[in-house]
Amino acid sequence: MNYPIIKCHDLSYNYSGKTALSNISFVCESAEPIGLVGPNGAGKSTLLSILCGFLPTTSGSVTIFDHQPGASALNGRVSALPQDAQLDPAFSIGEQLRFYARLQGLSTQQARLETGRVLEAVALKDVIKEKPATLSHGMAKRAAIAQALIGKPELILLDEPTAGLDPVNTRKIRSIIAELSPTTTFIISSHDLAELGRLCQQVLLLDKGVMSTMQLNASANISPTRFITLQMQPCPAADVMAKFKQIAGIVQITNPQKNEFIIEYKTAIEPKMDLKIIMCMSDNNWQYRQLIQGKTLEEKLFFAEQ
Amino acid sequence: MNPGFLRHLALICQFELKRLFTTRKGLLYLITFAVIWYFILLYPIRFASDFLGQQQNTSESNSFFQFIGFGALLNWKIPELGVYWHFSLILFPLLTVMSSADQTCSDRERGTLRFLCLRVSRDSLFFGRFCGIMLTQTLLIGASLLSTVALITFRDATMLPVACNNALAIFINLIIALLPFTAMMAALSATVQSARQATTWAILIWSFLAGIITILSSYLPALNNLKFLIPGYQMSALSQLTEWQALQLAYIPLLQTLVLLTLGRWIMQRQSL
Repeated sequence: MNYPIIKCHDLSYNYSGKTALSNISFVCESAEPIGLVGPNGAGKSTLLSILCGFLPTTSGSVTIFDHQPGASALNGRVSALPQDAQLDPAFSIGEQLRFYARLQGLSTQQARLETGRVLEAVALKDVIKEKPATLSHGMAKRAAIAQALIGKPELILLDEPTAGLDPVNTRKIRSIIAELSPTTTFIISSHDLAELGRLCQQVLLLDKGVMSTMQLNASANISPTRFITLQMQPCPAADVMAKFKQIAGIVQITNPQKNEFIIEYKTAIEPKMDLKIIMCMSDNNWQYRQLIQGKTLEEKLFFAEQ
Repeated sequence: MNPGFLRHLALICQFELKRLFTTRKGLLYLITFAVIWYFILLYPIRFASDFLGQQQNTSESNSFFQFIGFGALLNWKIPELGVYWHFSLILFPLLTVMSSADQTCSDRERGTLRFLCLRVSRDSLFFGRFCGIMLTQTLLIGASLLSTVALITFRDATMLPVACNNALAIFINLIIALLPFTAMMAALSATVQSARQATTWAILIWSFLAGIITILSSYLPALNNLKFLIPGYQMSALSQLTEWQALQLAYIPLLQTLVLLTLGRWIMQRQSL
């Protein structure tokens, strides 16, 4: 059974007279990974810093597992990848991760094994004896992700976990998150909406310090219309839209970006619209790159009203 | 108290010791310390003790040492330890300020404190670093004192019991004397952004705070008591005392440490990481 992990009520944070977060209220349950999105300066990192206990709140309340952020009771239960945080340059990666593991209550032997495990998970076992200064940006990020995995915490807050990582390592991090998701709840702040779309069922949208929550696919079953997002190879947009409009059941077609179409259709008239569209494209010799059921996360979050 | 507090304290202390003995910065500090004390032992302590040993009861030497402010040297049973005491009262506070200036500031600026604070309370971190620095200072004081005792024993083996007793008195007194300096740097380090800033503030506190308090106390005499809070306030009086007598003034550094640690903890708790 899911239970609330984070309870946030009327949370505000001001600094230097500027409002970073304004009366935010939300509840996160232990579940699938939760995305945290918003434009630059929206307050995502501030919110994560408050949840980690790095920043005090200006007003309102926030609890994690019914404790204040930063409480000793949360040590080892909550972990994070803080934005731009770096390991100590004086010690090797292995020494530091072992120290963190020991602080989380592991024995010397367990700490050694755990350090090996988390470095293996992020494909950094080879650099266990290296100092942080010798690592590339991507490797340093993976080392920081490794520290967040120590001791299998119940909640992991990741601030831009895949920023600066190559595709191979991005996929590696994604598979780690997917693998741990049954036992660990992730809150992932990211600008990579495609990444979040793959991982998350719930997204928290922060904009100008105000938050809204979106359950992805939640309204799909009850709405009389559905969407298909179609990405085409270079094609005549006007012709494509004209042909598609002739298909029974299509309510609206928009062309938000070059070679991309969002098709709204009535399921009651044509439940298998995807097949109809593919047949239409085949009849006209148009090539498509991707056909997605529903809107992309980017469309849902930032261009819903258009 | 959190049950994990003492365990975390011990682990952080242990890590600070590792920093001293295994990192480049720590080893550089150790080498500097060893070189400084090598020369102090080789020249001032050895020669001054020879000189004092020969001149101890002459009125000329008495008046000379009184004139340069080192009259208390003549009261020490073992001259080497008297000279050691005078040098250490100047050197150890300086070395402590330098070595303890970066207790939390660069880790905070780098974001490393964030990794640590996910695992330990800010109290554990603040007091752990403080205890770690004090532990390293204790080891260094012990090492330099043992070298001095070895030098004394080499000169006169019969002095060993007295030397050990006096060295223990110095050991305890020095640790107590260094407590407020470390606590002051812990508080400054929790406030400022770099070790250099912390050191600059420490120098400003010594240079100007006493002067400002003196000026203000001419208007309100009660303010003169604030000088008690400046680390090292008792040092000149301390240098006039010998062996176990110096513990008479131990209440001043202990009080200063209490105040400075309370202040530092208050800052650390409110500091954004």
